[in-house]
Amino acid sequence: MNNKLLILYASQTGNAMDAAERLSREAEHRGCPAVSVLSIDEFQPSALSAEETVIFVVSTTGQGETPDSMKEFWKFLLQRNLSRECLKGMHYAVFGLGDSSYQKYNFVAKKLDKRLLDLGATSIIERGLGDDQHRSGYEGALDPWMSALWKMLYKKNPKLLPSGPDFLTSDATLIDLPKIQILYHDVDEVKPQLSTSTDLKYLEMQIERARSMTPGKYSAKNRPDCFLKMTKNCPLSRAGSGKDVRHFEFEAVSCLIEYEVGDVLEVLPGQSPAAVDAFIKRCNLNPESYITVEPRDKENKLSASSLLFPVKLKTFVELTMDVASASPRRYFFEVMSVFANAEHEKERLQYFVSPEGRDDLYQYNQKERRTVLEVLEDFPSVQMPFEWLVQLVPPLKTRAFSISSSPSVHPNEVHLTVSVVSWTTPYKRKRMGLCSSWLASLDPQQQRSLIPAWITKGSLPPPPPSLPLILIGPGTGCAPFRGFVEERALQSKSGPTAPIVFFFGCRNENNDFLYKDFWLSHSQQGRVLSESKGGGFYVAFSRDQPQKVYVQHKMREQSMKIWSMLAQGAAVYVAGSSNKMPSDVFSTFEEIVSTENQVPRETALKWLRALEKAGKYHVEAWS
Amino acid sequence: MAQDRILALTDQVVVSLNAILDAIKVVRKEGSEKLNPIIITQALPDSLLSVESLSMDVVVYISNSFELPSDQLLINISRVLKPGGTILHWTSQSSNWKVRDSSRKGKFLLAGFLDVQSAENGQSFGIIGKKPSWKIGSSFSIKKASQSLPKMQIDDDMDLIDEDSLLTEEDLKKPQPLPGDCEVGSTRKACKNCTCGRAEAEEKVQKLGLTVDQLDNPQSACGNCGLGDAFRCSTCPYKGLPAFKLGEKVTLSGNFLAADI
Repeated sequence: MNNKLLILYASQTGNAMDAAERLSREAEHRGCPAVSVLSIDEFQPSALSAEETVIFVVSTTGQGETPDSMKEFWKFLLQRNLSRECLKGMHYAVFGLGDSSYQKYNFVAKKLDKRLLDLGATSIIERGLGDDQHRSGYEGALDPWMSALWKMLYKKNPKLLPSGPDFLTSDATLIDLPKIQILYHDVDEVKPQLSTSTDLKYLEMQIERARSMTPGKYSAKNRPDCFLKMTKNCPLSRAGSGKDVRHFEFEAVSCLIEYEVGDVLEVLPGQSPAAVDAFIKRCNLNPESYITVEPRDKENKLSASSLLFPVKLKTFVELTMDVASASPRRYFFEVMSVFANAEHEKERLQYFVSPEGRDDLYQYNQKERRTVLEVLEDFPSVQMPFEWLVQLVPPLKTRAFSISSSPSVHPNEVHLTVSVVSWTTPYKRKRMGLCSSWLASLDPQQQRSLIPAWITKGSLPPPPPSLPLILIGPGTGCAPFRGFVEERALQSKSGPTAPIVFFFGCRNENNDFLYKDFWLSHSQQGRVLSESKGGGFYVAFSRDQPQKVYVQHKMREQSMKIWSMLAQGAAVYVAGSSNKMPSDVFSTFEEIVSTENQVPRETALKWLRALEKAGKYHVEAWS
Repeated sequence: MAQDRILALTDQVVVSLNAILDAIKVVRKEGSEKLNPIIITQALPDSLLSVESLSMDVVVYISNSFELPSDQLLINISRVLKPGGTILHWTSQSSNWKVRDSSRKGKFLLAGFLDVQSAENGQSFGIIGKKPSWKIGSSFSIKKASQSLPKMQIDDDMDLIDEDSLLTEEDLKKPQPLPGDCEVGSTRKACKNCTCGRAEAEEKVQKLGLTVDQLDNPQSACGNCGLGDAFRCSTCPYKGLPAFKLGEKVTLSGNFLAADI
């Protein structure tokens, strides 16, 4: 028996990764001789049968799907030709992270558990299911599940956890070391590189270097695809209506943007200079010093040391450390407790980290969306070394938006349709989304800041002009379809194009009828959305009458037309920001296919699944 | 079998007779010496205008790309096929064909062909389908119920199992919502992602719940209220407000930390 523990996580927003790292620390505290934590896409699934003890920590996303990092792995496991004995000898345990307010609650963990069993693996303990709706979030389920895990593992193989299954925290010393180390450099070392680059090039280099050094894993490339300058910022919703939706236009600066309709723009948000300064001051850092960040572990050191050029500390914080928006995780509080100098603060932090204080921590931190800066200011005696801060402050993430323009109609421009996110916390504090409010605050006339951006593919492939389309896009879901329609309008000038039927929905005609003039103009006689060309434009105003009217209702009214388009070979595209909308729309299609053809619902469902497999049903849902 | 009428189509300009015969042999084993197919090169939907409807037993479409013929072309092929006739899309070599196979089969199904199968022969491979044997009009519009939906193959994806089969009855049941969020109380609160407007209505009704005196001259019996949210109990009236010193007026306006609207 080897005494090695492998922990594989599939994380979408970082929670599963955090839980996996906690498991790994706890295993180390119990003396486990060899623990390895990997993102599931860093692991070859064919090597699974050679492993003896594996813990899986997997999240389920809103639509019941596996995180992106797990798609390949899952496809491998689902192969029909895998033998029922192929994982014999492997002992495993599964912990799932999910949200019980969704129908497909923890589906990924449930399916994984069963599949592993079917392939001959042995389960160590019953699967654990973490739930966002629980009063302490997923930690509520993780704590008891972990204790059971250590007990069982110790029973099966005491050598795996030589210090025993129980572990008493010692508050005086922190056993863990930070995973990274920071080197400070002489300014003179750095000067030669500064003088030879233009502003833009320099910014590009800074971003690439900073992002490549940060310990957080980035999905996007480190170097931005392009830099954008905002040229337009106008409201699409009526002021005072309770919604603030903007239309933004950007121009590419010194690079050509290439994209297709349906693509996604990822933007790196700027942080408030005041917040960055306050953070630096609070942590007693020198903003002007130059640093490089390296993994402490010799094995993980970047072989391409050419990437390790020093970056100004202040720039590093600005570009990679989210100080005024994302909430820190439980481990941040644990490390804080070690570095707290005031007794009452130390006690409080230890309380938060204990099982008794878990719920209170969840209320104070996650539910309130406490920022790193707020937490540090609430515990003023804490002096955390910069290494720990770099490791534990949430990484500044890019935000993705569906592009709402067609590059053929607006060369070298990108348009976005953005809802400025704001909400009230349980303690009645007003919060705003970092990226949406930052973009909304930019003034095209005044600001000269360059916005780093990446173009990525979303779930909406660009349709050829001969493909009839059924589009459903309530609210900001209409964004990609604005691009579709304006592109097809252009294409129709030089040849025949297939019709488009578009279903839009919003609250009130007078408040948030986004791009009203645009859609109406394209619905006029002979144009792309007109009935005379076989198309259509239908709007549901949910709150303009006592009963709610949504896109589904409008779709049912057009049942015959929808079926006729599907029979012609139309493709369906659904986009929007509600968690229930895509499944409600799918349900409505089932109804329509079933009714129009007088066949049972099941048959209609199978037909729609074939439509999906044929690549003619696409959904882009953000929540 | 009486002589089959065979139509061979290709998107290429030039194609060898052997390539055509090889393809035909995939779907018609016997009588290969007597094969006399009609051949159309650089085939477009309009190329079939001269071919009579319901006249062909077999249509073979040969191409180097494994993209299926366009919808328009498929419609025309279907038109010229006799009911029960066979269609073959035949192509050679591509490394990812297994991965895309299911979506091509799906396309054939949706175009109205039945009994869709894949076939392979050395470097070449393809998809076979059959035109339904009931008569339908020459246009592809679907009218009657029994004809409208092509028969579905249950296993669209031969290679992977159906993942939903891994779930039990219990798993599929809608999860019970957990009792009470953080607030104690018997009244129903708005959901986290409220879309119906209840959250906004509740927001308007809530008041700060503090008297002016409490704000001007804050007192704390426990001593923790002034330390900030991290130290306050769940019932503390000062919850949500910044830290303050006892006796000094509480500043309500936020700084950049708590973003105000």
